[in-house]
Amino acid sequence: MAEDRVYSVTELNRVAREFLEEGLGPLWVKGEVSNLVSAPSGHLYFTLKDAESEVSAVRFKGRASLLPSVVLKDGLSVVAYGHLTVYEPRGRYQFVVSLLQGAGLGTAQLEFERLKEKLKGEGLFDAGRKRSLPPFPQRIGVVTSPSGAALRDILSVLERRWPLVEVYLFPSAVQGETAPLEIVEAIRSAATFNDKYAPIDVLIVGRGGGSLEDLAAFNDERVARAISACPIPIVSAVGHEIDFTIADFVADVRAPTPSAAAELAVPDSGEVLSLLRTLHRRLAHAIRSAFDRRRRLLETGLRGYIFRIPLRKAATASQGLDLRLDELHRSIVRALEARDRELLRLEDRLPLVDPRLPLRRGYCLTFTPGDPSPLRDPGRVSRGETIETRFLIGKILSRVEEVSRT
Amino acid sequence: MTIDEALSKLEAITKHLEEEGLPLEEAVSLFEEGIALAARIKTDLDQAKLKVRRVIEEAQGVFSLEDFDLA
Repeated sequence: MAEDRVYSVTELNRVAREFLEEGLGPLWVKGEVSNLVSAPSGHLYFTLKDAESEVSAVRFKGRASLLPSVVLKDGLSVVAYGHLTVYEPRGRYQFVVSLLQGAGLGTAQLEFERLKEKLKGEGLFDAGRKRSLPPFPQRIGVVTSPSGAALRDILSVLERRWPLVEVYLFPSAVQGETAPLEIVEAIRSAATFNDKYAPIDVLIVGRGGGSLEDLAAFNDERVARAISACPIPIVSAVGHEIDFTIADFVADVRAPTPSAAAELAVPDSGEVLSLLRTLHRRLAHAIRSAFDRRRRLLETGLRGYIFRIPLRKAATASQGLDLRLDELHRSIVRALEARDRELLRLEDRLPLVDPRLPLRRGYCLTFTPGDPSPLRDPGRVSRGETIETRFLIGKILSRVEEVSRT
Repeated sequence: MTIDEALSKLEAITKHLEEEGLPLEEAVSLFEEGIALAARIKTDLDQAKLKVRRVIEEAQGVFSLEDFDLA
């Protein structure tokens, strides 16, 4: 561009503008808003600054609707996306903003920290205040948006783990300006329902993950106080793992996600079924032992009785006594057998898989020496080998003559 | 009886039955009671279907419920 020609001021500014616009593409700038002026045209003029420098910025009207969640005001820390240009009539360069968002570590974060310290100071986060959740809730309340993914997640976990529970939905917006009051109202409604209608054992309050702005309602002081005042134990279920909100600190139990809240709130039917199986087994074992003990008792009793009769006397004992002893013995055996049959019938009602069940039905199991599990494939033995066939009341050892597979 | 009450009762019955020296008659009746309880709990769990209701507070303390279906 080294040349002798003399530029007019207008030409210079135009060249500078083209140079800046073409040389430097769109970019992000972080800074604090100041000198905000809302022009009658609808454009917003302000200065973005940090500790050492500042730059003029403008957000043109047509673009202002891009991010309605951010209300620009002086002092707000923002991250702005846009490009540099030169305002030719004044020869000033400025940043034209096309996208703008709260900087996260700006005032919202400051407010978060301020409220957190305040409520902590009042003891609202104290471990001693936290109530534990009942192990077997009958009714669960949920405060969330009826159309949100959070509700879907919660219901699908409850359905899978513990479909016995009754769910009561207290609908509420979970973002936007009305959300804090709607959540407060839904929690109050749940408390009244709990008081007047039917007890609610656990209340899940939450929503899916989102930006700091999206989660604002759960950082609201009114919501925090409603949670802390609620007579029902509350599980907070806000967002994904990394999002901590004030609601999380106040709640009795904090769950990292709505699904996790549902898991914390109810027992697992799979675990209950396995406890049930264990109790089944113990019952069956105990009744069997009771019969065995009784049988041994009777048998030793009987032997003792016979031994007490002196041999000499026994030899000459009247036939009548022999008969009576014999009769006594037979009646005891009959009684035991009847009990055993009854026991077998009772055990048949158990949906347990007792390895001896097939044996009772008349099937046999075949084993090869040294192998504790039954033989399933005849191809694994060959002629001349020894096999053992087990029945309910005994076994047969045999030698293989021929092997064929179907 | 709620399911947790039924479960604790079943546990108590099992423990009782495991004590030695129970009269046989009593053992058999405990066993039968235990089996019936276990069957009831299992049936309750198998047949349970999640019920969801949307609560509408029409006026302070006056509620109406409507079945809530996600689909």
